[in-house]
Parts: sequence; structure tokens; C-alpha cells
Amino acid sequence: MQKGYKIENKTIILNKELTQLDVFVKDFLDILKKYLDYLVVSGFVSISTGRTRGTEDIDIITPLMEKNKFKEFFLDLQRNNFWCYQGDNYEDVYEYIKELNNIRFARINEMFPNIEFIPFDKSNKIKDFEFSHPQKIKIKDFEFKIPPIEFEILYKEIILGSDKDIADALHLRTFFSDLIKEERFKEYKNIIK
Amino acid sequence: MKKKPVKDLDYVKLYSEKLKENNSLFKQQKILIESQLEGSRSIFKNMFFKNNFKENARKYLKDIGLLK
Repeated sequence: MQKGYKIENKTIILNKELTQLDVFVKDFLDILKKYLDYLVVSGFVSISTGRTRGTEDIDIITPLMEKNKFKEFFLDLQRNNFWCYQGDNYEDVYEYIKELNNIRFARINEMFPNIEFIPFDKSNKIKDFEFSHPQKIKIKDFEFKIPPIEFEILYKEIILGSDKDIADALHLRTFFSDLIKEERFKEYKNIIK
Repeated sequence: MKKKPVKDLDYVKLYSEKLKENNSLFKQQKILIESQLEGSRSIFKNMFFKNNFKENARKYLKDIGLLK
């Protein structure tokens, strides 16, 4: 028997095997990382760290991407068996991106799980803050970035606030109780409110 | 004496406390997550696979308001 996680070089190491959901996110991020920085937010943060609930989408925020880079990224996803809900043509889909609208990707011949790809720009102070303060987390050879745990908890409690989000926040507060720094809640509350 | 869990949130807290100390609970969680994925995969494959999956899926997404 081991503890649920440990910390190594400021990275959270989860003591678990990869689930099929983790592998789906890993496969997507292996492509995205070639083109752009990112942050995995919301439900997957709770589920990958042990919350026992299902999910249909994985939220990933990214800075606004320029069109040529988006083209390469989009074609790479298609070559690797992902499809986009919004369309098969990168130019059509880029219209959503440039207006900062979310788009979704799933594996070919599947609808769920899907990646909700969320572009943002500097005018979004909350997303910009969490994006620039990433926390690394690792499951086996899958390393990815999430917001600071305290930030994720407050975002779920204050901004989202559904029963599901409150339960997710409680899971994070409890599971990471040894890691959480109370003073960060004060700091982050000022950004979120 | 430990308080008995009475509400859903009490169970969430209890599970997270146990998981923090005992990673073997991740095995149960893996089974639950993967059975939910298999369930939804099978439902939508059956719904849309007759002809063109993407075309049928997009029509469905428009019908439920997830796609403009």
C-alpha cells in the first residue's frame, strides 16, 4: 500500500495506473504540445486525481493561436484519428477560434469522451493567471499541467458552484490537504472575484 | 468515535481521505471510469454507425444545441 501521491521537484506524482481516459488526454496533448502551451482545467483535474465520477469532456485552455499554426495542429490531429465536431476544414474551424469560441475533438467514430478546446486571450484575467501559474502533475510517463490546486478549488466553489463542482472541490481539498497552502486561497480569491 | 457519513459530500470526503492514504482505491476508480466510457462508446456507435458517423453525430449535436 502506498499513499495516493507524492511530490518530487514540485511535481505531483500520482501513484496510480493510467486509465483509458488518461490515455485519451495524453494522446491529444502529445499532439498539442508540439504547437502550443496549454492547461488542463476543471473536471479532469478532479477525476485524474481520484474523484469517482464519469465525465464526457476534458477542458483544455490555450492562448489564441495564429492561423498557420492552427492549420498544422488541426491536420496533425486528423492524421492521428481525431475529428472535430465543428468541421473537417481547418479554415472553417478557425473562424470559431479567432472569435474565442470553444471547439471539440473526439476520436474517429466516437463522440465521448471529447476535448473541449478553449482559446483565450490576455483580456481574460482569470484564465491568463492560471495559465501562467501551472502545476505539473504526473501519472507514470504522462506529465501534464493543471492550475494551482488552491486556484482550481476556488474556481469550482466560487465561479462554477454546481453540486458536481462543490463535490470536486471537496475532493481536491481533502486529497491534497497536505499540499494546500491556506495563504494562497486569499491571494487567488482576489483574482477570481 | 468517527462521524458516520450521512450526505453525498460526506462520502466524497471519506473516499478522498482513504485514497490519500491508500492508492489501491485507484483500482476501483479505474474500473468505474472505464465502464462509463465503454457504455457511452457503445451507445453512440449504435446510434450513428449505420452510415456516416460524423454526419449523423453532427446532426445529433445540432438537434441538442451543442453545435450551431
